[in-house]
Amino acid sequence: MDQNARTSNPLIRKLEGFASLSDADRGLLERVSASARPIAAGTDLAREGEPPDGVYLIMDGMACRHKRSASGARQIMAYLVPGDLCDLDVALLDQMEHNITTLSDCSVVRITPEVVANLLEHHPAVARALRKSTLVDEATLREWLVNVGCRSADERIAHLLCELLLRLQVVGKATHDSFDLPVTQQDLADTTGLSSVHVNRTMQSLQRQEVIALAGTSLQILDLPRLKALAGFKPNYLHLGDRAAA
Amino acid sequence: MNLRLQPVQVATGSNDTESQLVFADGCLVAVLVRLSDDHQDEAGMWFLEAGFGSVADPRQPKFADLDEAQDWIMRRLVGSPVPG
Repeated sequence: MDQNARTSNPLIRKLEGFASLSDADRGLLERVSASARPIAAGTDLAREGEPPDGVYLIMDGMACRHKRSASGARQIMAYLVPGDLCDLDVALLDQMEHNITTLSDCSVVRITPEVVANLLEHHPAVARALRKSTLVDEATLREWLVNVGCRSADERIAHLLCELLLRLQVVGKATHDSFDLPVTQQDLADTTGLSSVHVNRTMQSLQRQEVIALAGTSLQILDLPRLKALAGFKPNYLHLGDRAAA
Repeated sequence: MNLRLQPVQVATGSNDTESQLVFADGCLVAVLVRLSDDHQDEAGMWFLEAGFGSVADPRQPKFADLDEAQDWIMRRLVGSPVPG
């Protein structure tokens, strides 16, 4: 294999930013992520109240963590994009307290608790990268709390789009300015604590101002500096180092 | 309890401006905004832009017409009377 060739494997791309991986580590991660299977949009990978049955790794598409209130309202509290793993230590829990559901058609690997334990116990660089990615998941959740608690509708949407561009670029799923956003306005509304009406107004406004362009699910950011300024976006919580220079 | 509507323009920062203030026994309980053509399939529906007291609802429902909106508001008010 050409040592300089950039792998297309999103898990390896993500983790090699968090730790220095050997060729053996990369080979191991290739094998761990090899058995991806297609999962249709709207499929529950894990359900609240049920025992977890492994760690899910998203290789393509987008999924989310969400909970429903007693009144039926939904809050999405994380997007899972390619390279993201759901809950390394989930096997410690008797039952899930939230749901994990695909937002688009996805390619997903189910990793057994035994395989996760082997990675964490016998492969220190991989373990370090996985633990760092868990810290980043927690930091991202904190940033999303700030989003719903402290930002205006425009700022919330702008912040989410800035974040997705960076996260998807890291795993090779975005160009310098464009990515696929396979979510509905209701999904965005449930993510940002807004109504779908406010999401639509904001998306229309950003398009009228020529900050973004949206064609179907294809989102292009036309003016990234303006979008970042609007969001007050600081990528420090993603801990990407020099990969956040975009 | 009687509801009274008063047409107003609301500066929502969008093309959704045609609106109705909804009063119950003289007190403002809701602001309904008619969705513009920007909302495609939902254009023409009435959106609960703001509700006060028992009419507040974080899900901010949309209604096919003003009658449906007033029925919903009335049910919320009867279920939990406005103080005073």
